Amino acid sequence: MTEIIIAIVQALLLMLLAPLVSGTARWMRAKMHTRRGPSILQDYYDIAKLLKRQDVRTQHSSFVFRLMPPLYMGVLLILACGMPMITRACPIPVLGDVITIIYLLALPRFFFALAAVDSSDAYSGVGGIRELIVGVLVEPSMMLALFVAALATGTTNIGAMGEAIGSLSVTSPVAVVVAAAAFALACYVELGKLPYDVAEAEQELQEGPLAEYSGPSLAMAKASLSMKQVIVVSWFIAVFLPFGSATELTIPALALGALVFVVKVAAIFFICSIVENLVSRVRWKYMSRQTWTVVGVSVLALVFCVLGI
Amino acid sequence: MSASVLFLASVAVSCVGGVLALLAGRSVSAAKAVACIAGVAAAICGLGAGAMAIFGEPELVSIATPFSFANFSLLFNPLSGLLVLVISLLALVAWVYGLSYFDEYKKHGVGALGFFMNLFVASMMGVICTDNAFWFLVFFELMSLTSYFLVIIEQKETSIKGGFLYLVMAHAGFLLIMISFFTMAGITGSFEFQSFREHGFSPVIASLVFVLAFIGFGCKAGMVPFHSWLPQAHPAAPSNVSALMSGGMIKIGVFGIVKVGLDLLSSSEVQLWWGVLVLLFGAASSVLGVVYALAEHDIKKLLAYHSVENIGIILLGVGVGFIGMALGQPTIAVIGFMAGFYHLLNHAVFKGLLFLGAGSVLYATGTRNMEKMGGLARVMPVTAMCFLIGSLAISAIPPLNGFVSEWYTYQSLFTTAFAGDAVIKVVAAFGAVALAITGALAVTCFVKAYGVTFLSAPRSDVARQAKEVPGPMKAGMVILAAACVFLGVGAPWVAPVMEHIATAMTTAPTVGSAVGMELVNPAIGSTVSTPLLAVLMIALVALLWGLRAALGTGGTGVVRDPWACGYKAEAEMPVIATSFASQVEMVLGPLYRMRSFMSAQSGKFVALFQGTVKGASVAETAGDKYLVDTVATLVVWLGQQVRKIECGDFRVYILYIVAALVFFLCLSVLI
Repeated sequence: MTEIIIAIVQALLLMLLAPLVSGTARWMRAKMHTRRGPSILQDYYDIAKLLKRQDVRTQHSSFVFRLMPPLYMGVLLILACGMPMITRACPIPVLGDVITIIYLLALPRFFFALAAVDSSDAYSGVGGIRELIVGVLVEPSMMLALFVAALATGTTNIGAMGEAIGSLSVTSPVAVVVAAAAFALACYVELGKLPYDVAEAEQELQEGPLAEYSGPSLAMAKASLSMKQVIVVSWFIAVFLPFGSATELTIPALALGALVFVVKVAAIFFICSIVENLVSRVRWKYMSRQTWTVVGVSVLALVFCVLGI
Repeated sequence: MSASVLFLASVAVSCVGGVLALLAGRSVSAAKAVACIAGVAAAICGLGAGAMAIFGEPELVSIATPFSFANFSLLFNPLSGLLVLVISLLALVAWVYGLSYFDEYKKHGVGALGFFMNLFVASMMGVICTDNAFWFLVFFELMSLTSYFLVIIEQKETSIKGGFLYLVMAHAGFLLIMISFFTMAGITGSFEFQSFREHGFSPVIASLVFVLAFIGFGCKAGMVPFHSWLPQAHPAAPSNVSALMSGGMIKIGVFGIVKVGLDLLSSSEVQLWWGVLVLLFGAASSVLGVVYALAEHDIKKLLAYHSVENIGIILLGVGVGFIGMALGQPTIAVIGFMAGFYHLLNHAVFKGLLFLGAGSVLYATGTRNMEKMGGLARVMPVTAMCFLIGSLAISAIPPLNGFVSEWYTYQSLFTTAFAGDAVIKVVAAFGAVALAITGALAVTCFVKAYGVTFLSAPRSDVARQAKEVPGPMKAGMVILAAACVFLGVGAPWVAPVMEHIATAMTTAPTVGSAVGMELVNPAIGSTVSTPLLAVLMIALVALLWGLRAALGTGGTGVVRDPWACGYKAEAEMPVIATSFASQVEMVLGPLYRMRSFMSAQSGKFVALFQGTVKGASVAETAGDKYLVDTVATLVVWLGQQVRKIECGDFRVYILYIVAALVFFLCLSVLI
């Protein structure tokens, strides 16, 4: 029962606090540009304003265009229920299998790109295709890194993987560290931040797949994108940085776990912001060359794992 | 009532229906009705036979024939039951669909179509259940021939070319399978599969037999690099036959590999490298199949390439199964084979569905070119919905059926990696990565297939004027779409059946692959629950949809044109199939360059075949040239010389008689 409450609380907090995370990132970006910038609550104001606007769609669009925002957010909420954030173990273990998570993330991707094609806007369509290809480039490295982590911990459940890594009882520690690096790189690409914000590239694609959205649908889609960033970061934390999360279900342990989780998320987003503001966008056609590096690192992890070190 | 009775009834009804359809050929509607009704009746009998064979005790029926080597033996075990069930299900929907779809083929001869299709289904049934090498080869050949005639039914240049390539590849495979079977028959001295089973072959012979059969059946299954006939032949057939071929017939290739390795060689030891071989071919097929599918803008060719991909995924599971057998780990073997069998069933269902959907689009627009479609979801809502379900299923999106079998495939790969040594670990990791690339590319490919065909604005007049297809065609698609949902959401009830088939084939104890509402990998305790995912998804999407409606105060509106970042919207602007292909090619260029090499392989077989024909015609005339010709020339020369003697003047003949008299007188005097 406690686990189900934790799962629901996680999902609700994710939905409510995700705009704060993206707002803080915008604020930090402004500070690094030595601008005054918006308030960290700006994304809440944006959502409130969008909710008052008309929800417009083109005459040729179908139900896919309308379905995408609720579906995107719904799947992220399911992932939030299974993701170990505050606790070490998965709140709902049947939702915490690595393969289920990878394929659950494919569902919103499918509809995100499909809605972009449905909007009849060429810029959206191209953004949608790019979003799909980012998935093609990143997913194999993610799978290989997680494969190594699974081999080292003897399980495919991310909670159990976190437990093994958190108690430092893995069979090949070097391999796990290298796999963590590969997974971190893959997650960074997946976050859609500079230099890899190719799907929503502002200059070339004008917001990309979301260009034709407006009103409440746009608000929901934008909130979902920041929720996805938090989910991807928590995924990395759950498997490779589980230190400090609650191993037992007592109030003090859970409170400490929540605090540690917030600190870890804040630290990772801080690092990401610095990286994001130091680099310029990679040209789309060169992106696949850079993701080969990630593949290389994850293959290295497999080699270490097979060697047993 | 036993499986054998129902099976024989099914085959008999198919044959009678086929012949009657041919006899009624003059009247198109009568031929169509006879063929379809007989087909449906045969398929229902087949479904019963398949279900009984899966759940019942193995049943061996042997009918003696005048030829001692060719006893007509039939074996019904869970594996053949699964295949019979798959073929019958596809045949059922294909015939229902055909009730309307065959109207398109009036001028090509519906009677002949009904005849060949009925016989095609019957011959596939025969291949699956026969337990004698001679009859197996006979049915296998019949299956290739009948499907060849279905491929060339439109009599177009492309279909005849594709059909010929298919025929050659089918026979290249047939030859290897024949050598494999004859090797076993030569050693055991019998064509009965039962005697193969009881004989322990030496590892060298067993490996030879397995590899020959693997490549032979791999040709039939469309495995890379023997695949290039598949995207040329399958799309040329009528769409419901394509469904039957891509969903059903190529599975017989996989069935053959499992049957030879697991059943016929059951007294011989399974070698580890067999499993590795199958797994590596599977990984290559899965990635290359989907990569080439992405470059297609012909919707049926795209689907045909996806069959190559899915055969690869099935082979990944089967490969793990063989590795498990070789390692002496029954749990791994059961999970691997069960993943393969589950994907075999799932692929039949969703690929059948997608081919029927493509057939409906072809029926409504008259074209297979996706660039000319667009916006069909509005005018063909049922087809669009079914095609979307099929697309999600084949992209392994939870909670549909493709996800369940790929989940088991991944689990089997993880489990072997835990148990095996360094080589197995690397091979399993390679398989998992290949499957991950395949999954991501399949998502891309089906966003393209569904988006470009059904969404956005219509791009041609045929797309603008398209209408929803008639009832029987809708019924065929809806049955398979429902099956996709059931096999996915109902997986906790289906998985134990697949496990039962795998345990029966490996003689392993039950492993417990589903507990309550959860799917379980018993070896490492991984779990997933598709019913829970389905419930959560529906509930949350409905909740959020309501939330958006409740919080949004600005209402909704419809505009004529997209904003398009301020540019004037034009019909040519939205993305088309080529947009996807060019973007993917930018990233995966080397794989496309490899294609020319890969596709050349089947071409080589054709060249080999044509070379053989040429050689044979030279060899055939060699006898004439040196023996017959020489004699003939001599005879002609002699005749000419003789004609000089016979000049026709009677005085010369008198001279001959006088000369002869003188000759004989001299002879008598001299002696």
